[in-house]
Amino acid sequence: MRPSFLNIPGTLTLLAVAAAWEASVQSGAVTFEYLPAPSGIIIALVDLVSSGELAANTAHTMRSVLIGWILSIAIGSGLGLLFGLSAFARRYFLASLEVLRPLPAIAFLPVALLLFSFSLTTELIIIVYASVWPMFVNTMGGITNVSSRLHDVSLTLQLSRRRALTKVLIPAAAPAIMVGCRLCMGTALVMAIIAEMIGNPHGLGYAVVSALQAMRPERMFAYVIFVGVLAISLNACLILASRQLLSGHTREVSHHA
Amino acid sequence: MMEEGLADGQNIFECDDVSLELFPHGQRRLIIDRLSLTIRAGEFLTIVGSSGTGKTTLLRLLGGLVQATSGSIRFRGATVNSAPEGVVVVFQDYSNALLQWRSVARNVALGIEGKLDNAEIAKRVNEALQMVELERNADDYPWQLSGGMQQRVQLARALALKPDVMLMDEPFGALDAMTKATLQDEVLQVHARTGTSFVFITHDIEEAVYLGDRVVVLSGPPGRIHKIVPISLPRPRDQIKTRQTPGFLHLRVEIHAAVLNAEGH
Amino acid sequence: MPKRRKSFGFLLSGLPALRGLLPLVLFLATWQAIDPQGSPYFPPPSTWWVSIVTLTKSGRLLPALNATLMTFVLAIAIACVLGGAAGILIGRSPIARRALGPLLEFCRGLPPPVVVPVAVLLLGYVESLKLVIVVLVVVWPILLNTASSTSALSELLLDVSRTLRLSRIATLRKIVLPAAVPAFLVGVRGAVPLAIIITLLVEMITSLPGIGSLIVISQRQFRSSEVYGLLIVAGLIGFFLNSLFIVIEGLLLSRWPPRASYAEGG
Repeated sequence: MRPSFLNIPGTLTLLAVAAAWEASVQSGAVTFEYLPAPSGIIIALVDLVSSGELAANTAHTMRSVLIGWILSIAIGSGLGLLFGLSAFARRYFLASLEVLRPLPAIAFLPVALLLFSFSLTTELIIIVYASVWPMFVNTMGGITNVSSRLHDVSLTLQLSRRRALTKVLIPAAAPAIMVGCRLCMGTALVMAIIAEMIGNPHGLGYAVVSALQAMRPERMFAYVIFVGVLAISLNACLILASRQLLSGHTREVSHHA
Repeated sequence: MMEEGLADGQNIFECDDVSLELFPHGQRRLIIDRLSLTIRAGEFLTIVGSSGTGKTTLLRLLGGLVQATSGSIRFRGATVNSAPEGVVVVFQDYSNALLQWRSVARNVALGIEGKLDNAEIAKRVNEALQMVELERNADDYPWQLSGGMQQRVQLARALALKPDVMLMDEPFGALDAMTKATLQDEVLQVHARTGTSFVFITHDIEEAVYLGDRVVVLSGPPGRIHKIVPISLPRPRDQIKTRQTPGFLHLRVEIHAAVLNAEGH
Repeated sequence: MPKRRKSFGFLLSGLPALRGLLPLVLFLATWQAIDPQGSPYFPPPSTWWVSIVTLTKSGRLLPALNATLMTFVLAIAIACVLGGAAGILIGRSPIARRALGPLLEFCRGLPPPVVVPVAVLLLGYVESLKLVIVVLVVVWPILLNTASSTSALSELLLDVSRTLRLSRIATLRKIVLPAAVPAFLVGVRGAVPLAIIITLLVEMITSLPGIGSLIVISQRQFRSSEVYGLLIVAGLIGFFLNSLFIVIEGLLLSRWPPRASYAEGG
């Protein structure tokens, strides 16, 4: 899609949908019993912001997300580097990891709850277990996919192993690694919310569920929309950051939609 | 502009003062400027010119893939609004012009499926594959074939339609010299056997002389006809013998000079 | 000349080589050896097996397994149809892409878990709640991948359809749809693990029947070996379904040129 600055059809569609939503709720034409009107959602949102509740919940969630993200990046890139560089590791250990990968991280939540009850540790276990995979897969993939021509270049220039690594291999794998970081962040946010919905009664995830249980649909929708906007903004920030960091690269390697 | 070397005969294409304007990013660009050309039935017309002279655009105009902004193009007397029946384009990018998920035979059948009964389709596919010598590859997939073979598949697909005119856009530009020579001769054989008219764009001046009855030299941008050179070499043509005749060498020089001249404008 | 990839060997080659499982097996064996009695928090693997067998015999495991798998299969099927069709329609219409763009981007970026409470609120605890939620979440990767590949359909192929004078329907059937299949499958490939996770999540939150609710019940009753055992079951489900998808994808794409298939977003 060519991004022109003002997406008129898009904005109009959004406004039209919002207007239709408002009208159908107000007029009672829609059958969903608890569907709030956009006006109510906006009021609830303003209330959440001014009372500081939104900020507090966001801070809690973001703390888990950021810690989890950094841990996952560290572990994921370390493993990815190891497996990317070592054929030995791939041959004898990769299958074990491949079998662990499809394990839905969410299935670990009850185990974590058993061990650590409601706590940050529980959240972090889930977050890291799930988020490590995109980072790992993309790092390993980025390194193994470095064109063999670049390997030849390192050999021809007689670069030491360390230099070949830092000056050729890692920069070449950088786009894939950045994609891994971005996916990792997305996964971390998802898992943090899941953990908060089921495990740890704090943060945005918990706020959504408790608004549901308290039968306060305006608050719930306000939180839901905020979470969506938050997720998109984080993703957009990382895209901008990777463009800055990777300004030399002309093509972005795409490993995922 | 007066055309040279046009004998009396039925005209299959008539272009009168054709112009094409485009408006990329709001600016006006004239691609083709008041071009007039007549193409005779059964002739082999080659078109040469440097980049930017609008060769591909001219071909697309003839093929009905793009509309002229002024002037008229008539095929067999009828104005060309969309792809005319009896005219087919063969593209330069053969691998992307074929359907990678269909076998060779089904690719060749693409243009005639649903328009003829099954027996006739099978017959035409067979004939087309024989003409390009790919009968044994009917069940292969395009990605399994070499570049030259893929281009032949595209050729066969066009031939299966039994068109009156084949429009070819630098079809052999991406191939190596040996394959090119083979395919040139195959195209000449098709021309001789079926009497189909050809409009053939190429960068390669020798190829233009070797294949053509007339060579059109374009200048530009914007695209205009600079010169039309009739090729009086006898047919059938031979890769070794024809290319050594003094007539061939002389024509090659003449057209080369014309192209350089056109660039100077 | 590359051969068409129909051999059984290829179909299996998407699965990891088995010798790499050694570390995992060693790990489990060590766990078993160290602590045959089992602490309440880290029961040895043998107890997991025992509790799974018990669950099966008591008739609780299989219905749960059935519920989870049925939801998964139906949700994927519905999402494929909806996502594929909508993807093609949206891909073919530049105006639709621009108009719906922000909405689609929002739906794509919205973290799936928050869809669950919304659906619960609006639909209540009905039979079909699980299915609706999973479909709502999982349709996006399929739709967006299909749409993006359809809109990027090479201008050249469209020229080919024009010069061969194919009708609009013929162009759709013979060119647009088949060309979209590889990207559609990439979308489905992303949808499969997502569907598993969301199915389990919904079961955990709402306690609707399935493996997820079984796990939560066991956890609340502090039956740790059951929890671990069910974890393995969930993992096996994930592994099996992913592998099944790889096989199916291989079959469907046997006509397409082989591509460097390292592209998996995890």
